[in-house]
Amino acid sequence: MIGSGNEARVETLATGFLERKTFWETLTSEKYFKWVLITPLLIVLLVFTLYPMCYCLFYSTHQYAMPRPPKFIGFDNYRAVLQDVNFWQALGRSFYLLVISIAVELIVAMGIAMLFNREFKGQNIIRGLCLLPLLISPLAMSMIWDYIFHYDMGLMNHVLAKIGFSKVNWWTPEVALYTIAVISIWQWTPFSIFVLLAGLRSLPRDAFEAAKVDGATPWYTFRRITLPMLMPIIMIIILLRTMWLIRLFDPLYGTTRGGVGTETFDWMVYRVAFVFFDVGAGSTLAIISLFLTLVLCALLFRVLMKSLGAAE
Amino acid sequence: MKRIAFWMATFVILFAFVFPIFWVYLTSIKAKADIYSLEFSTQFLFSPTIDNFRHLFLKTPFFQEITSTAIVSVASTILVMLVALPAAYSFARFNTGYGHLLFITISTRMFPAAVAAIPFFFAFKSLGLLDTHFGLTMLYLYFNVSFAVFLLFGFFREIPAELEQAAMIDGYGRLEILRKIIFPLIKPGASITAVFCLVFAWNEFLYAFLFTRLHAKPLSVGISNFWATIEIQWGPMSAGAGLAILPTLAAAWFMQRYIIRGLTFGAVKG
Repeated sequence: MIGSGNEARVETLATGFLERKTFWETLTSEKYFKWVLITPLLIVLLVFTLYPMCYCLFYSTHQYAMPRPPKFIGFDNYRAVLQDVNFWQALGRSFYLLVISIAVELIVAMGIAMLFNREFKGQNIIRGLCLLPLLISPLAMSMIWDYIFHYDMGLMNHVLAKIGFSKVNWWTPEVALYTIAVISIWQWTPFSIFVLLAGLRSLPRDAFEAAKVDGATPWYTFRRITLPMLMPIIMIIILLRTMWLIRLFDPLYGTTRGGVGTETFDWMVYRVAFVFFDVGAGSTLAIISLFLTLVLCALLFRVLMKSLGAAE
Repeated sequence: MKRIAFWMATFVILFAFVFPIFWVYLTSIKAKADIYSLEFSTQFLFSPTIDNFRHLFLKTPFFQEITSTAIVSVASTILVMLVALPAAYSFARFNTGYGHLLFITISTRMFPAAVAAIPFFFAFKSLGLLDTHFGLTMLYLYFNVSFAVFLLFGFFREIPAELEQAAMIDGYGRLEILRKIIFPLIKPGASITAVFCLVFAWNEFLYAFLFTRLHAKPLSVGISNFWATIEIQWGPMSAGAGLAILPTLAAAWFMQRYIIRGLTFGAVKG
């Protein structure tokens, strides 16, 4: 009896040994494979986001204006930033720019997408041409806009003068922020158009036919059928555009360089950190912006996931 | 009547999007005197010149810059795809991290550029990576990877899991499934993602501006240098910008039919 028991144990040990997987098999097994696949991404994210975050957190509690050595000052940087009127203005401008750009882009793009959502002659070439602004360097383009909007030499004022209006100074504190918005709207509206167009083309036909039979007005059809069904797409656009607009830099660099009342939040971080070389204050601003964008992103992401789930 | 209205609207839209780019090319063949002219007539009526291109080729390191741009954007795009493809597959097929990890990945793209710029500037300085192609490539890897994961996630979700299960029953191993089933199906989506990464890296300015000086300086920084202390040299600048768009244009042209599908992130089943 005892002997046979031992034999059985030896047997299981033996099969266990035989079944022991090679390193490669372990990597591709059900349990580990998904993590193996994701490891490179995790490494990249760890190196490229954790390190900067820790660095900024550390130096945001220090007085550190290059080239003087850092000195620990607790939360004084945060206090100074939150009391700085420039900070609140820059934040307000960024938010304002975000809202008007996305609102205008969505409305214009929706109109154009509805217009192009049909078969017409040369449709591919015309839609392709509309994609052009996405491809050109935003920096180069903003310098060309600077030329077009130039007070004396710019085409815009030449045309305005020609048709009998007075010239407009596009770069005054009252107007400049809108000029910047126009530049960024011009460049990114094509993106929204194409996403919306793809969305429109994928909508089921029967709902629209039913609405037609019921004699619904076009506006009613749009508001009650098209818009709700496009919601996930619209959320994706808002999410991505928010991501891109928060780091709006090139149009500012090519035109006002943060002057005449156009200093946005991202520009302020740049100015403090790389023009003044105030690493302490720059890190503080960076941490605050990190916090704000994370909250914003979480909010948008939740709505997006909800609408994606609802669409399926 | 309706047709006329449609074509009028189409014309206005096309004009709005294409004219500023047309203006870039027009400016690139204008003489300096015509660019700075205060008269309306010279805006369109002028004698064309190639002086701006000559200036660009002879007086600025244009070819060195465009080589840098090409090296960095191609290298970073390849790296991005190597990292993003398996990760997106894992997210889409195994729901790795139950959405939280995907959220973290996407949210890294929202960090204001300067958050990463400050620490990296000093890290790169001490590692000797400032003004190198390698350094800039790594930054673009970080810059593009989350967006690529997001795009590819949508494409992978469109591939039915049943295909893989069937292949598994037939005795395929994991790598064989990846090679023989997943890869051919993801190719269009991967191409469009790669084009996006390429265009973004090609046109990126802020990191290039902060992290390069001479050796690895890409074209976008070269273009910004035409903003001199006294005046903006719009002529050579337009010449450079006009040439810089051509490769991205070619890339987009080849990808045209995938673009519409590519932009919907799997929210649209087309």
